[in-house]
Amino acid sequence: MFNGTVGGGAEDLPQLQSTMRAIELACSYIQINTNPAAAEATILSLHQSPQPYKACRFILENSQVAAARFQAAAAIKEAAIREWSFLSTEDKGGLISFCLGYVMQHANSADAYVFSKVSSVAAQLMKRGWLEFTPAEKEVFFYQINQAILGSRGLDVQFIGIHFLESLVSEFSPSTSSAMSLPREFHENCRKSLEQNYLKTFYSWAQDAALSVTNKIVESNSDVPEVKVCNAALRLMHQILNWEFRYSKGGTKGSINVFSDGIRSDTASARKTEAVIVQPGASWCDVLVSSSHVGWLINLYSSLRQKFALEGYWLDCPVAVSARKLIVQLCSLAGEVFPSNNAQMREQHLLLLLSGVLPWIDPPDVISKEIEEGRSGSEMIDGCRALLSIATVTTPDVFDRLLRSIRPFGTLTLLSLLMGEVVKVLLANSNDEETWSYEARDILLDTWTTLLTSMDGSGGNAWLPPEGMHAAASLFSLIAESELKLASASATTDEDDSDCLASVSAMDERLGSYALIARAAVDATVPFLTKLFSDRVARLHQGRGTVDPTETLEEVYSLLLIIGHVLADEGEGETALVPDALQSHFVDVVEAGNHPVVLLSSSIVKFAEQCLDANMRSSIFSPRLMEAVIWFLARWSFTYLMLVENCNLGSNQLQSLPSRACLFTFFNEHNQGKFVLDIIVRISLTSLMSYPGEKDLQELTCHQLLHALVRRRNICFHLLSLDSWRNLANAFANDKSLFLLNGVSQRSLAQTLVLSAYGMRSSNASNQYVKDLMAHMTSSLVDLANNSDLKNLAQQPEIIMLVSCVLERLRGAASATEPRTQRAIYEMGLSVMNPVLRLLEVYKHESAVIYLLLKFVVDWVDGQISYLEAHETTGVVNFCMSLLQIYSSHNIGKISLSLSSTLLNEAKTEKYKDLRALLQLLSHLCSKDMVDFSSDSIETQSTNISQVVFFGLHIITPLITLELLKYPKLCFDYFSLISHMLEVYPETLAQLNSDAFNHVLTTVDFGLHQQDVDIVTMCLRALKALASYHYKETKDGNTGLGSHAAGHTDPNGVFREGILSRFLRTLLQFLLFEDYSTDLVSTAADALFPLILCEPNLYQGLGNELIEKQGNPNFKTRLANALQVLTTSNQLSSSLDRLNYQRFRKNLNNFLIEVRGFLKTK
Amino acid sequence: MSDEEHHFESSDAGASKTYPQQAGNIRKGGHIVIKGRPCKVVEVSTSKTGKHGHAKCHFVAIDIFTSKKLEDIVPSSHNCDVPHVNRTDYQLIDISEDGFVSLLTDNGSTKDDLKLPTDETLLTQLKSGFEEGKDIVVSVMSAMGEEQMCALKEVAPK
Repeated sequence: MFNGTVGGGAEDLPQLQSTMRAIELACSYIQINTNPAAAEATILSLHQSPQPYKACRFILENSQVAAARFQAAAAIKEAAIREWSFLSTEDKGGLISFCLGYVMQHANSADAYVFSKVSSVAAQLMKRGWLEFTPAEKEVFFYQINQAILGSRGLDVQFIGIHFLESLVSEFSPSTSSAMSLPREFHENCRKSLEQNYLKTFYSWAQDAALSVTNKIVESNSDVPEVKVCNAALRLMHQILNWEFRYSKGGTKGSINVFSDGIRSDTASARKTEAVIVQPGASWCDVLVSSSHVGWLINLYSSLRQKFALEGYWLDCPVAVSARKLIVQLCSLAGEVFPSNNAQMREQHLLLLLSGVLPWIDPPDVISKEIEEGRSGSEMIDGCRALLSIATVTTPDVFDRLLRSIRPFGTLTLLSLLMGEVVKVLLANSNDEETWSYEARDILLDTWTTLLTSMDGSGGNAWLPPEGMHAAASLFSLIAESELKLASASATTDEDDSDCLASVSAMDERLGSYALIARAAVDATVPFLTKLFSDRVARLHQGRGTVDPTETLEEVYSLLLIIGHVLADEGEGETALVPDALQSHFVDVVEAGNHPVVLLSSSIVKFAEQCLDANMRSSIFSPRLMEAVIWFLARWSFTYLMLVENCNLGSNQLQSLPSRACLFTFFNEHNQGKFVLDIIVRISLTSLMSYPGEKDLQELTCHQLLHALVRRRNICFHLLSLDSWRNLANAFANDKSLFLLNGVSQRSLAQTLVLSAYGMRSSNASNQYVKDLMAHMTSSLVDLANNSDLKNLAQQPEIIMLVSCVLERLRGAASATEPRTQRAIYEMGLSVMNPVLRLLEVYKHESAVIYLLLKFVVDWVDGQISYLEAHETTGVVNFCMSLLQIYSSHNIGKISLSLSSTLLNEAKTEKYKDLRALLQLLSHLCSKDMVDFSSDSIETQSTNISQVVFFGLHIITPLITLELLKYPKLCFDYFSLISHMLEVYPETLAQLNSDAFNHVLTTVDFGLHQQDVDIVTMCLRALKALASYHYKETKDGNTGLGSHAAGHTDPNGVFREGILSRFLRTLLQFLLFEDYSTDLVSTAADALFPLILCEPNLYQGLGNELIEKQGNPNFKTRLANALQVLTTSNQLSSSLDRLNYQRFRKNLNNFLIEVRGFLKTK
Repeated sequence: MSDEEHHFESSDAGASKTYPQQAGNIRKGGHIVIKGRPCKVVEVSTSKTGKHGHAKCHFVAIDIFTSKKLEDIVPSSHNCDVPHVNRTDYQLIDISEDGFVSLLTDNGSTKDDLKLPTDETLLTQLKSGFEEGKDIVVSVMSAMGEEQMCALKEVAPK
């Protein structure tokens, strides 16, 4: 539509004007929302037209409509990035100078967004050409900008200059750069060059600019225009320090002992607020540290503070916010910017900053009162952030010492006072969510966490200074009291956070930080917690039957969570160690019974034991309290119960402490361990049997508590000898009431019981144990399946429920397969094979049961397949194939007739879940070829797994409609299976009949057009496998894919081209004309290369076609050259080895950069 | 299917139409009776009566015959009624003009008292398949004295 290539001269003025009018009109149509599609098309055609620069410049210079100017700038950017590779050097430079000149000339007009856009366009173009411009060329641009920033051309231009640098820095920073469809390498090189050669210069420019206006601001009594420049400069400095410095660290970085001078570089784990450590490297010392930069900044802000009462200034005015941000950022300055032998310099730097920040936060009570009376809390919060930043780069000792030189107490005390104040405020207005105190609390908690985690991991001998310990203890008691008050206040509110697990994990992070504070002063906090707990328990007993216990129950609930966090860490699959602080303190304790940790633990176990009594249960142990009890027992027992020496202890220099020995022996197998274990098992059984319908409680019991117990091998030995455990197993096999548990818990319980079989002394005994445990379940299924009236019987709800329960249990048992119990579980599955097929038939309309059946088989096969001998494998494979066939025959062509769209969607989801299970089944079968523990030698392998799996795919692919592939998980599973099969067994694919073959490849074609990069990658890998297989085979004189590749003439006489030709077309189309992530180019190259080798003639033809289509003779030659280079440069040869693949990847990358620009131009 | 076995008259004749089941055990996808209607559960959520009270289940379910949405709240340890839902497959023999279909039962007799679906699209699906001469099996769902077609499936002609 727009033709920008016409030559210069006055005659095209009318045309330029008409273009401008069209764009203006389109912009105004979009604004008033009249026919937006057409308007967008108009604007898009400007963006996509070749060389639209002249029109764009004309619009920028002449249009009165801001939106039109904005679009023109956007069009310049898009066209120039696209056409960059064939613009002349003058054009490139011209466009950048034009943009820069434009913003500077129009610096004082309104419409800021147009200027931001134009200046970001200039920045992007500059980056695009960064690696090809000579230093002299860059110098020309930067001279202009430097002049602007120096202020010689007025404040507006000065502002624009700084603003441009901001755009430029953000364009070069990887996280904020814009896509240019170039390889990552390019961005990396740009970033390196900017960081090494320019960043520091920019910073000093910004410093100079800010300095030049400081006096004016300090002396003035009202808002002056200089403030805008100052703000921009501060923002630029902030942004530059935000840069992720990489190249300025010296070569010695590995050898620096980060703790030696009290500094550390670890980034503490999960924190809510971010404190990025600024490490610009040694060369920045003069700019940031040894100059009076920090002093200037602190003075600037304190003079701003005095102006907050004046007009134009306030606590949150932009320049104040920027100044505070920069101060906070400078607090986290670290690394080689401080000369390594000069710890004093670093402390001086931090002290200077701290003294500047102090007025924001000290004295805490006065400040918080002011804020509650209506002052903005942002300055105080920034103060907290500054403390966090300092904490990030210092050890607790250095942190505490900082303040001592100017105050009678240490920084830790200040931190404790400040946080205490915040917690008080928080308690007072606990109702409204979004208050400053929430934010301040989180930041301060992070500060503590940052300080304390460094100590926690360092061997337990790093203690806080005594005053700091005192501060931590008093803060913790304040926190605990306020948590309890909050709990009792919330006891009667009927919020919907009934799920214990959910509420624990939501509070986990916070409680974890509280626990760190508590562990910093265990001498005081553990006895304190014991006292709190016994107080509450006594209160419960006193008021039993007379007073409503709800508030106290809620307090006990919270206390259990807090104590759980203080005493033990979350294991998360690892062996949980007793926290160092608890091991290393209490040195004067010699008798286990007096150890504070033992006392606290025992009092809780004793309390929990009371739930075994029915009366106590009904009056005290509410389901919610039981959830906390079970949660606590799970966490505690994993850390303390029956420890194995040198495993749960961790090894450190504390081994010999007597107090530590007490702690470990008290709950071991020779002491109280067995007794406590018995109590825990009995409590579990009670929670499963006596709380009917309490799903959350039962899941917690099965998943967290029982599962944690059997995960520890030595505990299994003891479990099996306990009567209570036998009772549990007995109830599981026979008691009706355990059939009332929900499905997930049934499964988990079965898994737990089977896992506990490890505790039997021999493999035979273990197998027998499992057999006895499951015999009842398998026989009930067999009996049912053999019942002559199965068809009617099966439909009855109680039978459906029974079958579902049994299947869940079988599945649980199957997922607990271990080498020791493998035989028993194999036989268990074997005995229900036929019943399973029968039930699959009978329950074909009961999708819930079908899903359970399938999942059981999936898990069973997964557990067993790698152990099976050849003849067993054959049996299992045949069984799976019958299963697939029966399932398929029931479902293919089935249409659900329902008026309800919800039910129809349900039906679709059910189908998706079934198919996903079947795909998983096939994947598990596949794994037999990879992992095989059977005693057979390779040669006796009687079942050809690849054939089986393809046969299985053949059965189920007709069920997998393109509609169903829209479920992302199904799609992922399907394509990972397909790409695996094609990569590993291309020869089997070649043997498929043409329907099945085509179906597989239609889905691959579908997958290529998905949005998800993973899916496309898998499809490309499948293609690569297919094409390279065919190429290698035919080269060796074999048929390869045979008729599938050759193409054929269909009955109507139309020639259908072969599969490889089709994909060659598709792939070329994809690479040249469609939008995709640049990450895909390498994988695509790997697929394209063998395709080209397979179909050289077609490729030649397609290439010629492309060249013919190109109108512009200049582009024609370029394209022809590029195509030539693609297949010849880098000594590319026609063998499929790693080297050639690598060369081709490089060639394709260059090819695409060269031609995609003009091919995509319309 | 094992058709060789001799069937007595339906063995659950006279059995109750519903069966009690603990509310906490009724899952999404299961059946439940709400306000006297057989329903399929599409959503279950649990909550507590007060923080330290007992759990209760909140069911959202859809009437399997009318597709109306119904809701109920039941303490999770209490029993709910679960309907007996039977599904039987029949071969489609004919579609008559008066809105009924004629079906072939397992034992060779015909069943002519089932109405065509009222929904237009379902009707077309059924009719078009039938007119093309395909073998069609319809599944009929019955519960609490009502019955309705619930699915159809083309059987590949032998």
